[in-house]
Amino acid sequence: MNASSLTSSLSISNSKQLPQLSSKQQRSCQVHFKTISCRATKLVEETKNGSNFYKMLSVNPKNATMEEIKRSYRSMALQYHPDVCHDPSMKEESTKIFVRLNAAYETLSNPMLREQYDSELGLKNNMMNMNNIVNQEIWRSRWQEQVVELKKRSSKRMGQKGSRMRTQNMKDRN
Amino acid sequence: MGEPAYTVASDSETTGEEKTLPLPEIAIGIDIGTSQCSVAVWNGSQVELLKNKRNQKLMKSFVTFKDESPSGGVTSQFSHEHEMLSGDTIFNMKRLIGRVDTDPVVHASKNLPFLVQTLDIGVRPFIAALVNNVWRSTTPEEVLAMFLVELRLMTESHLKRPIRNVVLTVPVSFSRFQLTRLERACAMAGLHVLRLMPEPTAVALLYGQQQQKASQETMGSGSEKIALIFNMGAGYCDVAVTATAGGVSQIKALAGNTIGGEDLLQNMMRHLIPDSENIFKRHGVEEIKSMALLRVATQDAIHQLSTQTSVQVDVDLGDGVKICKVVDRAEFEEVNKEVFEKCESLIIQCLHDAKVDVEDVNDVIVVGGCSYIPRVKNLVSKICKVTEVYKGINPLEGAVCGAAMEGAVASGIIDPFGNLDLLTIQATPLAIGIRADGNKFVPVIPRNTTMPARKDLLFTTIHDNQTEALILVYEGEGKKAEENHLLGYFKIMGIPTAPKGVPEINVCMDIDAANVLRVLAGVVMPGSRTPAVPVMEVRMPMVDDGHGWCAEALNRTYGATMDLVTLKKA
Repeated sequence: MNASSLTSSLSISNSKQLPQLSSKQQRSCQVHFKTISCRATKLVEETKNGSNFYKMLSVNPKNATMEEIKRSYRSMALQYHPDVCHDPSMKEESTKIFVRLNAAYETLSNPMLREQYDSELGLKNNMMNMNNIVNQEIWRSRWQEQVVELKKRSSKRMGQKGSRMRTQNMKDRN
Repeated sequence: MGEPAYTVASDSETTGEEKTLPLPEIAIGIDIGTSQCSVAVWNGSQVELLKNKRNQKLMKSFVTFKDESPSGGVTSQFSHEHEMLSGDTIFNMKRLIGRVDTDPVVHASKNLPFLVQTLDIGVRPFIAALVNNVWRSTTPEEVLAMFLVELRLMTESHLKRPIRNVVLTVPVSFSRFQLTRLERACAMAGLHVLRLMPEPTAVALLYGQQQQKASQETMGSGSEKIALIFNMGAGYCDVAVTATAGGVSQIKALAGNTIGGEDLLQNMMRHLIPDSENIFKRHGVEEIKSMALLRVATQDAIHQLSTQTSVQVDVDLGDGVKICKVVDRAEFEEVNKEVFEKCESLIIQCLHDAKVDVEDVNDVIVVGGCSYIPRVKNLVSKICKVTEVYKGINPLEGAVCGAAMEGAVASGIIDPFGNLDLLTIQATPLAIGIRADGNKFVPVIPRNTTMPARKDLLFTTIHDNQTEALILVYEGEGKKAEENHLLGYFKIMGIPTAPKGVPEINVCMDIDAANVLRVLAGVVMPGSRTPAVPVMEVRMPMVDDGHGWCAEALNRTYGATMDLVTLKKA
């Protein structure tokens, strides 16, 4: 781990690629805020590389069952977990791989998060079919709901600057 | 025996050990209990518990300071337990290690038959043994190190090779600060800690191996099994929920607390002699003797109440204080009602955190010395809605066997029969975060996050043109910052001048597989893709004794001038 790895994660979180996800964080509780925030970073990272959580776990995005996802996660953990890696020079790399693997597993093994992730993936793939357009509509309506709630909440307690930034972001989106 | 003479290094000496040493040997597993210790090692085909010269697998955790040569429970034994309690013997080290004198656990240790003195100012307590009518000071680390040297010598003479690497089991509730003190004690004894394993996770590893074996024998599919592990010893109570299949145990949740047999014992002592604390306050030779007599008699009574429903306590404490009383099991359970309630809430919390329904738990494993207490077994079975607990694990040996297995796995040993194709995916027992949003504790890595882990969170300034920010790193579960353990602090400097809320301060926390925590902090201005100042990387914990003072001193000196708030970004 070094400064450059933080740099990359800094610049990623700085980009505004997935506003839906971030706003979702605010509606959910504090703890969710963090897990999802990290996931958002990972998602951008993975899709950029042409990889995604399904590819990472080598499971079929369309019909992978929970049992398959778990089994694949376990067998990959047995290969990539730093505890089973005995080459000191590979420790850091295997740690990185396992952290990503775990992010994939945490998303895909949670039906709600998986559904969200699926629709985000759909968005990323340039709306290849009707399904995705429908998904996007769902997202848009969810997004609107969140905007309303956020406005309510920000007027209540947030610093002026924070809400100004959000308003800015909403403009960007519209 | 031509054993080499090992001496304990000074406590002020720094460890300076890197965790990535080449592995020359199979690491041994050590279970340092509050009351008993054991050592186990992978002997090439299975785990073997080592015995001392008196043929004991479980050795009492204590060190007696007599004249110039202290001796511990590995080599020495008393003709009667009262001797252990004459003021020259220090025990319960695991309860005291890494705690400051404002800690309630330290206060509860003041009626032990040696000296635990507190001044309530947030420094380490003064601990001393009575040697030739002189109170000689020591530290829990030093006492543990002396004990570990004996364990090491015993193991080395047994295995006929030098020992360096160890896997140690630890309570779930230990803070990172306590863990470093434990590593320090090991270093003082010449041992290098390869892994620190929360006790129930060591049991989970053993359970995972047993399930793996069973599914191989029956050619079964090896479907996932969920186990709840409840471990209660003399000093601590831990709970874990694990999901196991194919040799991989994933820890879904951990919960721990400083409650154990010691609390049951002290509550009973108070019940038998309500003003016992006043009687023993002076800590003279006679008081210590009475204290010891009461302690031993009460301990015996509690042990007997595990198998019989009532017990006669008959003890003369001297100075006209006599106890002659029949105590029944119901009375014992009533006196310790609160302790048992705490156990219950730990289990409920752990199941909740693991998001596991009681009905989905396949096996309930109860281990630790307190597992022999009928009330303890009952409360676990009742909450888990089972009639029978898991029988395949010895309650007193499970943790050390798991540690020895982890020692073999982590040392890279391969078993041709696949007995070591095991993995425990650990989770963080406590949340780690920083102080922000006023005096709040904002977790960056929440409790029960899978390890290794790397998470980040954005913060921003609270003042216009704020150029510096103080990062105070805490560990714990309290909502307010000061309710948690301060692990360290550092300052970010050179934040470009900007209105408040504009600079983005990214705080990233990274825990590697060896459980080393690093905190990284960087500043990015909106529109820029590179950090405005060099990123800071700090290894935690960095504070040592007196850390209770640091936060107060920082607060007094800087107030809110360098504070941060979480950045709510859309």
